[in-house]
Amino acid sequence: MGKPAVQFAGYLRPDGQVGLRNRLLVLSATGLTGPTGRRIAGALPGSVFVSMPYDGGLLGDDRDAQLRTLLGLGLNPNVGAVLLIGGNPPKVAQLAEQMAKSGKPVVALTLDECDHDALTLTDRAIRSGARLMIEISRQRRQPCSLATLFLGLECGRSDPSSGLVANPLLGLMADHIVDAGGKAVFGETTEWLGAEHLLARRGATPAVGKAILDAALDHEQRAIDAGLDLTGDNPGPTNIAGGLTTIEEKSLGNIAKSGSRPIQSLLGYAEAPATPGLHAMKAATYAPESVTGFTAAGANLILFTTGQGNSFVNLISPTIKVSANPDSDKRLLEQLDFSCPDVFTGATSLAEAAPRLLALMIDVASGTRTWGEVLGEGEEVVSRFGASL
Amino acid sequence: MSEASRQGWDAVVLDASDNLATALRHLKAGETARFKIAGAVRELTMQTDVALCHKFAVETIAAGDTVRKYGETIGLATAAITAGAHAHVHNIKSLRAMRP
Repeated sequence: MGKPAVQFAGYLRPDGQVGLRNRLLVLSATGLTGPTGRRIAGALPGSVFVSMPYDGGLLGDDRDAQLRTLLGLGLNPNVGAVLLIGGNPPKVAQLAEQMAKSGKPVVALTLDECDHDALTLTDRAIRSGARLMIEISRQRRQPCSLATLFLGLECGRSDPSSGLVANPLLGLMADHIVDAGGKAVFGETTEWLGAEHLLARRGATPAVGKAILDAALDHEQRAIDAGLDLTGDNPGPTNIAGGLTTIEEKSLGNIAKSGSRPIQSLLGYAEAPATPGLHAMKAATYAPESVTGFTAAGANLILFTTGQGNSFVNLISPTIKVSANPDSDKRLLEQLDFSCPDVFTGATSLAEAAPRLLALMIDVASGTRTWGEVLGEGEEVVSRFGASL
Repeated sequence: MSEASRQGWDAVVLDASDNLATALRHLKAGETARFKIAGAVRELTMQTDVALCHKFAVETIAAGDTVRKYGETIGLATAAITAGAHAHVHNIKSLRAMRP
């Protein structure tokens, strides 16, 4: 794949992970402090704000997923420091302690220690956050190997150009980073239906292959139980207008993002992989939830393909938007970071386009901003699995 | 599938076992679409308009037959689809997540 630079400039974290960004994360552990957190982040230019809307009454999978996501977002290496606020002192203290084990600066504040006065919390948090921002600004980028990249692979508003070109291109990137010793994760489990047999064959062990088949069948059964006809939902109206007909067709294009390497494990939502290599995540297909699952699992760079266009990006991890659709190329001048209609028409081969995309990934990893970052299209959305008590 | 095989062609067939082609440009009813299937050049008169990225049948598909792309089954024809006609949600249905 040519001779692209094999290193990029990143922020080496005390726990050995590498950040491509050095963000102060203002993290509200409950919806009760969401508005306060938004005010605090607004007073700290350059910080990013995430609020978990739910807290009390979470059960089972929801409780686990929310805690895992909160912790995982704090631990993501693109976060240089965490300003954690909330309303449940034991929960906040426990989260702060676990995040601080990574060696990154963490300050935790709760409403309880501020006499339940949001303005007192605001005042104290802004002062603490300002100190954290000075502290992380002392960090400098240094040469890092591709083995420190952890790719999250996503697609949204796909059309057949995604399955033909953009997703196979991501597959080449996934293979390249995995071969370099890095990590990659793909999810969107409903979009394995019709292609799950191809994924299962790539399980590193028979157990992983079976887990992949079971995960796909679980998603299919939940659609059946809900009486949901996938056609019109997934593929959705934009997919259908773009030319996708059935979930099988969409899935066969979707899984091209995962490349060709063995799948080491099936992860739960927001679960960090235990080993390098390629991993599958059993998770919602809807991009805002899916990508937050990847970021909370530790992904530091998101590659996100689209056919018809999709402005959504992840907040914490830079997101490179890739499309091969010739019409979208003309329309989405401030959305597509990597547009390759020339590969769709066949004027350029996938093999020729691959080093160009890898070069952009290294640039973005080293600090070049994406359209989504510049325009502020980022958000974190955590999945729900059931009702609260 | 070799991407080089797409340049200069109107549509692409991804696998020799496929009965669907994907349009590489907006195709109009009545015009001739040129594409390759299993290495052989095929010319087909379009029966309907087929938009960029949409699919058409490369051979007439009977109602109830499976429809194929990527060398895999992507659904079932719910009506006969004439060679050169648009193949989409109006004449194809998914085989997955169907209610019993």
